[in-house]
Amino acid sequence: MKHTESSTGNIRSDGRKAMTLKPIHARKLAAIIDVKGRALFSKNFIIMPVFSLGFTFLMKILYERVSGGTADMNAYALALGILMNISMMGIYCTAASLAEEKEKNTLRTLMTSSVNGLEFFLGSLIPVVLMSTAVNVLCVFIVRLSMTPAQWGAYLAVTTAASIIASVVGMILGIFAKNQVTASTITTPAVLVFMMIPMFTGFSDTLHKISMFFFTGIAFEAVANINSGLPAADIRGIAILTAELLLSVILFLILYRRNGFER
Amino acid sequence: MSETYISVNHISKKYDKDFVLKDVTAVLHKGEILGFLGPSGAGKTTTIKILTGQLMPTSGEAKVLGIDCQKIDERIYEQIGIVTDSSGVYERMSVYDNLKYFARLLNVPLADIDPLLKRIGLYEHRKKPASKLSKGQTQRLVVARALLHKPKVLFLDEPTSGLDPSTALEIHRILRELKEEGMAIFLTTHNMEEAAKLCDHVALLNEGVIVEYGTPEEICLKYNTVKKYRVQLTDGTKHVLLQGSDTAGRIASWMEADQIETLHTCEPTLESVFLEVTGRELQ
Repeated sequence: MKHTESSTGNIRSDGRKAMTLKPIHARKLAAIIDVKGRALFSKNFIIMPVFSLGFTFLMKILYERVSGGTADMNAYALALGILMNISMMGIYCTAASLAEEKEKNTLRTLMTSSVNGLEFFLGSLIPVVLMSTAVNVLCVFIVRLSMTPAQWGAYLAVTTAASIIASVVGMILGIFAKNQVTASTITTPAVLVFMMIPMFTGFSDTLHKISMFFFTGIAFEAVANINSGLPAADIRGIAILTAELLLSVILFLILYRRNGFER
Repeated sequence: MSETYISVNHISKKYDKDFVLKDVTAVLHKGEILGFLGPSGAGKTTTIKILTGQLMPTSGEAKVLGIDCQKIDERIYEQIGIVTDSSGVYERMSVYDNLKYFARLLNVPLADIDPLLKRIGLYEHRKKPASKLSKGQTQRLVVARALLHKPKVLFLDEPTSGLDPSTALEIHRILRELKEEGMAIFLTTHNMEEAAKLCDHVALLNEGVIVEYGTPEEICLKYNTVKKYRVQLTDGTKHVLLQGSDTAGRIASWMEADQIETLHTCEPTLESVFLEVTGRELQ
């Protein structure tokens, strides 16, 4: 019997009750992280980190030729690389991974195999954030930007926070995607907005002002700040990152409570 | 009376304004197979979704392993196995890795995987990516995954639909073995032969209503109101004879002359009962 389940008001969907009330089992979480992590190395997803690394390398080469290899241009190449990585990896990979589970009917199978919503949420997010962080670190080595340990700490804190927010945004968009094609269609505008606006801040003050309200904009700016010997993010930037993290999680929970990971 | 694993008491389910299940009552004990038999849209899958906590009933009460279905959380899935048409497999992963993933989730020793693969007939394909499996092999993998944690109750939603006869027979064999081992099996099907062969009890479901409930034999005999015999003689002629003294005499004389090739009673099948009760075909 086929019915549009979302048309009813009393569907108990994919363990949504479990999101806030149930404990996390380390064994289950580890299994999900393992499988999701390996999936990131499949051809559907690996293109994103590879592209970000390649883009960073290309930008470094180009700017080196143009500027003669100044640290400022290396930092700019790094900022572009992490911007691309955080937007594409965080948003697209998380959304497409969730959409793939729905498309292949494995999400419902997981949820009827004693996995609760929180375990699935964390198990999906952690590999993406880890890979995104690894790419952010590799990008630094590609551009050969030297940083003090304190600057490394600040860099990792800001970029990881931005990656987490991007992944939660990806999860939110993934709820609306039935399959990987729709995931791509839905995430593209978001990826472009979060990537392009910080990228073009140099051309417009308005774009710069808008960018400073984006997690990607704060991460982009953090690289320039670190390169200039300034703190990676000021209080305002930290407040915006915190607020956006909270907002994205709250929005995700609101959507999740309606019908789980299904639309 | 053996242990009750599933009890369904007067459950109804309404989607928008339409009832898709009306006052359904059934019971399943340990070591039994209960079949919900009906055409597409009869409410079979809805029943499974309610029993497995994926849907809330509009009214009534259903319990699985003593737990009210409205209070089910993910812990119940450690004691039940589910096979539906929407049970997917991880196509990029091998057959073994698919089962390994769920073994880790369900806290099953990895050593249990190979014996299960042998039992289900997939051992020689264990290293093959799930995407390379045939439909029948994929269904076996889905069944294997549902059996991995040795559930007390197994829900099967049209498990042999669209499969070749040999795979279907193999699945039937496994189900009978599981039943012998004490597993309770809730089966939905529109295949009356499958239901008659496997089920201890069947519920004939039509438009959300159970129109008949009992053992397949009981149901068929209940509607055996006009008793008939089908006879084929050695000369190739075929006769359908109504119960009566004339028929008894004719059959006796044929028997004495050793002219009977085949002789069958013509009690109704589940399919003909369904047709008689509802006016609808099962398929």
